[in-house]
Amino acid sequence: MICTGCSCLCDDVVVDEKVRHACRIGASLILNRNVARAEPMVDGRKTDLDSAIESAIELLKDSNKVLIYGLNYSTLEAQRIAMKLAKKIDAYLDNGLRYDLAEKLLDGEVRIATLEDVRDYAYVMMFWMFDAHNEMPRLMSRTYYARGKKRQRGYEEDRFLVVVDVRRSHTAMLAKKNAIFIEYDDELIKEFETAIRGGLARREVLKVVGELKKSDFNVIFTREFLPFANEFGYIVPTIPQTNAMGFYKVLREEGGKIGRLEELDIDTILVVGDDPLNDLPLNAIPNFIVIDPKVSFTSKIARVVIPSAISGLECGGTMLRCDLVEMKLKPPFKSEIDDVEILKRILRGL
Amino acid sequence: MDIYKLLPKTNCKLCGEQTCMSFAFKLIRREKKLEDCKPLFEPEFEEQRRKIEEMLKVVEKATETGLVVNEDLCIGCGNCVVVCPVHVYEDPEGAGSGYGVRIERPILMVEDGVVRVVDVSLCRRYKDKTLCVACRENCPTSAIAFLEEL
Repeated sequence: MICTGCSCLCDDVVVDEKVRHACRIGASLILNRNVARAEPMVDGRKTDLDSAIESAIELLKDSNKVLIYGLNYSTLEAQRIAMKLAKKIDAYLDNGLRYDLAEKLLDGEVRIATLEDVRDYAYVMMFWMFDAHNEMPRLMSRTYYARGKKRQRGYEEDRFLVVVDVRRSHTAMLAKKNAIFIEYDDELIKEFETAIRGGLARREVLKVVGELKKSDFNVIFTREFLPFANEFGYIVPTIPQTNAMGFYKVLREEGGKIGRLEELDIDTILVVGDDPLNDLPLNAIPNFIVIDPKVSFTSKIARVVIPSAISGLECGGTMLRCDLVEMKLKPPFKSEIDDVEILKRILRGL
Repeated sequence: MDIYKLLPKTNCKLCGEQTCMSFAFKLIRREKKLEDCKPLFEPEFEEQRRKIEEMLKVVEKATETGLVVNEDLCIGCGNCVVVCPVHVYEDPEGAGSGYGVRIERPILMVEDGVVRVVDVSLCRRYKDKTLCVACRENCPTSAIAFLEEL
């Protein structure tokens, strides 16, 4: 199956009596799939699925300003329908993440490398303010440690690892041989820019820039836009939310309105597979409609809860990997209802 | 060495070894048992004996190559599986290329989100007694350790 624990979307995971090759995030998703499942609820009372969907439609009809929040863990198909829904009721959209890097990537302003290309050709790999082992655990074993077509001698000789962070993260612990750890400060981006143009900078930065000349395929793993990205080489966007890249792409294709929760006077939020009450500082609590396979903080206070299926595990579809490669999901289990079906029914009812 | 420090250090040879030092080494390799050291079971060494028994509990968990995996710390990243030189040689398309290991009896394999020791007989430490530490060196959470370093 394809693991949907993070945006690595590992395609070698085997599920039989045990879960093989998946990291702890993926294994937990699969092993605990029946734990804390959501049930259809309206105003705190249990009900059946049809009346929960009916109530959601009524609530949306009565609202003035609606925000559709989340969608990071849904398939491209579900995201497309959510965007159509947003157009129909003139709702805002938000996935709770930054947009700067995704905008630049989709505009083609920075070059993007796929994980397979990184494995086969990359020499310098820079992890910029990103602790791979806690967010996308298998990313390093699939790229840095793996041996590729042109990089057969392993990480000690054929790779140069750079870890930039404010602290010694788990990823930084691995910067040992042929590697360097740089502590982040405000001047670092500027210093990289000047050093790449031949100027002076601190010793560590100059060492990294010196290493860049040894290969024409160098890569930065980052989730923010870096002005020196193109001179450095390629970028792999590392947003750990499973299908966040899909959200940006679909948003670009369908053309939706972005709205930040804190800036708008929203009266109803349609949450799809996310937990804004846990993540965001909300001043006032609006009406929540939650579509989620699991119980969350938000679903505890939501007006309407509609249970769904876990994408990739119980329902199929397509997702975009962190490097914008399309992956077709192969769910090992089946579910009667999923995000696509629920959103379609709401769209039809409005 | 820590075990040796707690032994009586009299080199009494009652265990059949020439020195207490060689007894300590054989104890870790499981060639000797703690009961073979007769003076240790006398009342004056009781506290030391208890300490050694505690240490040997860790040894019991270790494999023949001295590998100890702390599953509570492991995050299942698979670095150890991918860097293992034997895996790369035996399974270049699988573990060598960053995927899950595909051979039937690998040394390590990630199961249910944590790394498990499947079969150490392929390990370089087992066959050639090479002091290879590739898996331990690339574990971000120090979930893998070898007995000689504990």
